[in-house]
Amino acid sequence: MLGKGVVGGGGGTKTPKPSFVSYVRPEEIHTNEKEVTEKEVTLHLLPGEQLLCEASAVLKYVQEESCQRGVCGRLVCTDFKIAFLGDDEPALDNAETQFKNKIIGENDITLHCVDQIFGVFDEKKKSLFGQLKKYPEKLIIHCKDLRVFHFCLRYTKEEEVKRIVSGIIHHTQAPKLLKRLFLFSYAAAAQSIIATSPKDHTVMFDTLKDWCWELERTKGNVKYKAVSVNEGYRICERLPAYFVVPTPLPEEDVRRFQGHGIPIWCWSCHNGSALLKMSALPKEQDDVILQIHKSFLDGIYKIIHRPPYEIVKTEDLSSNFLSLQEIQTAYSKFKQLFLIDNSTEFWDTDIKWFSLLESSSWLDIIRRCLKKAIEITECLEAQNVNVLLLEENASDLCCLISSLVQVMMDAHCRTKTGFQSLIQKEWVMGGHCFLDRCNHLRQSDKEEVPVFLLFLDCVWQLVHQFPPAFEFTETYLTVLSDSLYIPIFSTFFFNSPHQKDTNMGRESLDTQSKPLTPLTVWDWSVQFEPKAQTLLKNPLYVEKPKLDKGQRKGMHSKHRRQLSLPLTQPKSSPKRGFFREETDHLIKNLLGKRISKLINSSDELQDNFREFYDNWHSKPTDYHGLLLPHIEGPEIKVWAQRYLRWIPEAQILGGGRVATMSKLIEMMEEVQSLQEKIDERHHSQQRLQAEAPCLLRNSARLSSLFPFALLQRHSSKPILPTSGWKALGDEEDLAKREDEFVDLGDV
Amino acid sequence: MWWGGRGQSFNIAPHKEEPEMGLRGPKSDQGGRMPEPRSRRLGGCLASGCLPGNHALPMPLTPRLHPGLHLGLPHGWQGPEYLGHLDTPLSSDYDFALVNIGRLEAVDGLGLSRVQLLRPGSQLKFVPEELLIHGRDFRLLRVGFEAGGLEPQAWQVTMAIVQARAQSSQAQQCLGLPLTKAGQGSDSRKPPIPLLETSEDWEFERKKQGARGWRVSTVNERFDVATSLPRYFLVPSRVLDSEVRRAFGHFHQGRGPRLSWHHPGGSDLLRCGGFYTASDPNKEDIRAVESMLQAGHSDVVLVDVVDELPGLADVQLAHLRLRALCVPDSSVAEDKWLSALEGTRWLDYVRSCLRKASDISVLVTSRVRSVVLQERGDRDLNGLLSSLVQLLSAPEARTLCGFQSLVQREWVAAGHPFLTRLGGTGATPVFLLFLDCVWQLLQQFPAEFEFSEFFLLALHDSVRVPDTLTFLRNTPWERGKQSGQFSSYTQVYTPGYSHPPAGNSINLQLSVWDWDLRYSNEQILQFHNPGYNPEHGPDAWLPRQQVSFLVPGPPSSVWLFSKGALTPLHQLCPWRESPSLLAVSSRWLPRMAVSSESLADQEWGLPSHWGACPLPPGLLLPGYLGPQIRLWRRCYLRGRPEVQMGLSALTVSGLQDELSHLQELLRKWTPRAFPGDHSKKRDPSTILSHSC
Repeated sequence: MLGKGVVGGGGGTKTPKPSFVSYVRPEEIHTNEKEVTEKEVTLHLLPGEQLLCEASAVLKYVQEESCQRGVCGRLVCTDFKIAFLGDDEPALDNAETQFKNKIIGENDITLHCVDQIFGVFDEKKKSLFGQLKKYPEKLIIHCKDLRVFHFCLRYTKEEEVKRIVSGIIHHTQAPKLLKRLFLFSYAAAAQSIIATSPKDHTVMFDTLKDWCWELERTKGNVKYKAVSVNEGYRICERLPAYFVVPTPLPEEDVRRFQGHGIPIWCWSCHNGSALLKMSALPKEQDDVILQIHKSFLDGIYKIIHRPPYEIVKTEDLSSNFLSLQEIQTAYSKFKQLFLIDNSTEFWDTDIKWFSLLESSSWLDIIRRCLKKAIEITECLEAQNVNVLLLEENASDLCCLISSLVQVMMDAHCRTKTGFQSLIQKEWVMGGHCFLDRCNHLRQSDKEEVPVFLLFLDCVWQLVHQFPPAFEFTETYLTVLSDSLYIPIFSTFFFNSPHQKDTNMGRESLDTQSKPLTPLTVWDWSVQFEPKAQTLLKNPLYVEKPKLDKGQRKGMHSKHRRQLSLPLTQPKSSPKRGFFREETDHLIKNLLGKRISKLINSSDELQDNFREFYDNWHSKPTDYHGLLLPHIEGPEIKVWAQRYLRWIPEAQILGGGRVATMSKLIEMMEEVQSLQEKIDERHHSQQRLQAEAPCLLRNSARLSSLFPFALLQRHSSKPILPTSGWKALGDEEDLAKREDEFVDLGDV
Repeated sequence: MWWGGRGQSFNIAPHKEEPEMGLRGPKSDQGGRMPEPRSRRLGGCLASGCLPGNHALPMPLTPRLHPGLHLGLPHGWQGPEYLGHLDTPLSSDYDFALVNIGRLEAVDGLGLSRVQLLRPGSQLKFVPEELLIHGRDFRLLRVGFEAGGLEPQAWQVTMAIVQARAQSSQAQQCLGLPLTKAGQGSDSRKPPIPLLETSEDWEFERKKQGARGWRVSTVNERFDVATSLPRYFLVPSRVLDSEVRRAFGHFHQGRGPRLSWHHPGGSDLLRCGGFYTASDPNKEDIRAVESMLQAGHSDVVLVDVVDELPGLADVQLAHLRLRALCVPDSSVAEDKWLSALEGTRWLDYVRSCLRKASDISVLVTSRVRSVVLQERGDRDLNGLLSSLVQLLSAPEARTLCGFQSLVQREWVAAGHPFLTRLGGTGATPVFLLFLDCVWQLLQQFPAEFEFSEFFLLALHDSVRVPDTLTFLRNTPWERGKQSGQFSSYTQVYTPGYSHPPAGNSINLQLSVWDWDLRYSNEQILQFHNPGYNPEHGPDAWLPRQQVSFLVPGPPSSVWLFSKGALTPLHQLCPWRESPSLLAVSSRWLPRMAVSSESLADQEWGLPSHWGACPLPPGLLLPGYLGPQIRLWRRCYLRGRPEVQMGLSALTVSGLQDELSHLQELLRKWTPRAFPGDHSKKRDPSTILSHSC
């Protein structure tokens, strides 16, 4: 069966007919009812997926308002997704259909992807939750990937309406237990077919070896060591089983406060300075305990402030920087700009677009994150000091900032595997609470903060500004952000590695139950065919020539540092004396007494920053070196692909970046084949395999929303702001009149 | 402020390599040395805009602004070579026409950072350390005196500029803009683009468009119908010249309906001025007007151009605000940038132009209706809309040549008052608004245009360069008068005389389209968009015969397109039944009650017998949503080099270079021609002058 259960109407083999109904009247529906049930398409279930409830004769609006087009079909809710089974759209052998997600169909919404549900009662829109007394005639579902679905239930039997509406509300909005996640039933049912993909080189950081490898790659192994004190999560459930600390740090210090208050290594710069993070010590009122804390931190300080370690500068991310609350508010305002119920609403807001965008302050938050990352980069790169990121649990903004710094400074993190490894290291192993931050269990809306999405958006800004520097494309980032809500991958469904291991049965002593091996999101072949995967790869990316040879040998462990600058000795800073004060700050901060606006606002720092920033931008960009994003007002942009892709009005047929991309790919291929020919002539070597034909190699005009928004291609009519074209006579009608055509042009 | 006050800063080098370059009688040495590529390091001359015979600025006063010596040079300014390929490929960056100077500021370097605004005729109050020249085209030139060793002459240089500016503005007031003696020796040049000053040019244009029902009218040969009209234009073949004359008198300033573009599917795009309401036409007049407007079509859509588009004053204000926002020392906080941008309303106007053009081009191409653009003056927004419609609908107009002849036809020949709109203090840059619209299209459809952003930039910067007459006169008549074209026959009217005597049009055949006067070959190469997909070009499109979807309607139905909806009109002209003025205007307005009803149940108000047609393959439908209209940063933010950065389009050209290099290599080894050689030989002459 290979995971594809077939349920329902038994009409699976029948060729689907288009059933576009405009201005449907109830009587039409009733007369057609038999036909409708016969035409149903099959529901594909994943292994372990169960059908919970369904309703037939549901109308899905294809476009709102003027067109009133609806597709008739079944609405189904399983323990994995909400699916609408309409008659298939006429098959299109266009390139666009080939970028299909194998797990999530066009009309599928995973339960975790549902953001809000609205019902329409007598033309009034109301948010739906809990037990309903009255059932709506229309259901509007806002998704977290910003799709908006409209389902009309007017022609559905009352029984079915009740069942499906309450089913959907319950399964998407009621708090859930972790063990009830679809992830577990899928992993259990699909155990036999989940094959580990050996091709993927993403470093998972779940073994000591991985950490040692990373230390070696960044040449951090001189001063830092990977430790296994937390094996089996004996010390702390928050930290991964293995992590890296300064070499002289004694083990008991790690144990003392369950891993709080100790500097944990993130990354080492080519000049030897390192990025560290630390979770704050628990807040205490008791003076005695505070004294103990102080002496503990003094001890820590003595270890990391002595040569060979560089001077440490602290960045307290929980007091001087963004708050999670701010991020949450900004995003919820921002996303409303794109969750559009009908085009009238859209055009109403369109004229104020820029001020609405600005008032959401999402772009400003992105700017502040990028700026903070640049500041830290400046410390590491120019001042040659260690930077210690400090946060309550070191698992939100710490992850964001430290991974941004690495993307900017380490070209390895701009390759696909490097980026994936980075996410593994900083986010998954770093203990970012994906479960809470994405609110997968619907337990607390307050905890839902799109920190990871913010990170992806920041990276998008970089990708957008420096396309040749990244091996992946914006499409990659977009599908990665979508994967956050697909509960067959374990990557984004746990709060910590400890939670994952215990629940996946890896750490349980119960020898009878075999540990489950869930899929990771990095296995892109689960979601996309190889052809579609070419869209995730940036054709403009050029590997660093030196690295090229090393990689051809295909040796996993032979990754070299990209930045081949010599390891310089830390400068003996004339400012040593100055650092006594800094230590006080450090300790005060660590003790939880927040001193705001003292550390970061000094003028000297601003000047250094400006100079560094200006200096870098006045030189030509080395795409394999340091990257500093532009952060001026006009430079921070909206990630159009992710946010606008479902809005039909945003479509530009034959336009957008895709148009340049296809040209580029064509030329790249030509360059490649010419190079091969030259190689052939010179060395008569064996030919390299030609690249798989790409989806973009196609002279047809693609839509600017490519590869998303397949549906909208049908609306070849222009959308007029004030009203809209009325569907005037269909094509048949037109054909009849064809004989009567008279060319009046030359009369 | 994030970007502080940094602009392009240059030091003045004592001229050594190319002495006297700064003093070149502006471009007088051009004619003889056409083939040799102009040095990109010309440096340029502050005084290049001064009067002929009046460029006797004292020697040290013509500083060579040397980009090579740098002091904290911004991104990308490593040397001229680098500069040529990256940020701003146009050397005219250092050419500042005096007219172009928007604001001149002297900065005192004594730590006080005193700034003095220098108006024409004002006196310097101190010896400046730095001179800031704010261009009206968004450029900023910073001249640092100290580091270049020119400190002693700082005073002189500054005052010379101030004086030259004063003189030029004086001269401008009494003479109109003076013309430099560019290209005087090159009288035998063939214009790269038909200038549409002869009837042959128009006949050629008519044939190219395949407008069979149209002919070239010579009625305005002596500019006696209207001085703002070209001497020749296209009218329906069935209408006699006497009728043309009769009809045109009833339009504002005599600008009656003329053909702008003929759609191969059969519909036409016409433009005309507003009805001259004070006139009292007789029956025959009305019949002439109607037959000219209808041009043989049963359905005609009148488009009220002003409706929903910005007024001239709006454009002026928006452009001023935009410039204030984009100067390097603008005081807008970066988190308030977006709302400040919105506040200029410039992008909003760009959007409304695109929206209207998109609606009209759907009417013309997909619905195959004839459209008449009507604007009172017919010299501003009509040109903008009709050019945009053609860019959207005709792949021909999207080629390098096609676009230039489009501008020549719809703007230059059609009498757009360039001098008034772009000169002086009350400038209303409708043309620059148009260029911004085109840039938006370029952004949205990077594979559909043969020309590049740099070409648009060059055009943008050319509007104030006093080289050629193209943009420096208000009407074709003034332009012709200046060039002395019709001195011999304005006295005598010879009927049927269709072309001016040869040899009379000496040097002034030169136009802005002679790019090699001002730009080097390397720069002209960059006019070409490497991402252009020739498969979408005009040749691919035209041979496929457009199926005509014309559906006969009730005889003579006339529609008004306004506020995004069509409403039926009783009649074309306002005068037919009652010549009284009041009655006219009320009848002229669409019947409000009826139209609002019809809007409700007929949506766009389209007559039901106009079937929905598939969109023709060559049609572009632009996006005009808030997020899709962007700021033309490469143009408006030029004063802020921090904001400039590489574009992916340049990567395409990089790849293309690599391709041709590789092909060259292969060709060396293989004697036979390489078959897959589709990268065109990139040569400026082929780019600019292949058969237009």
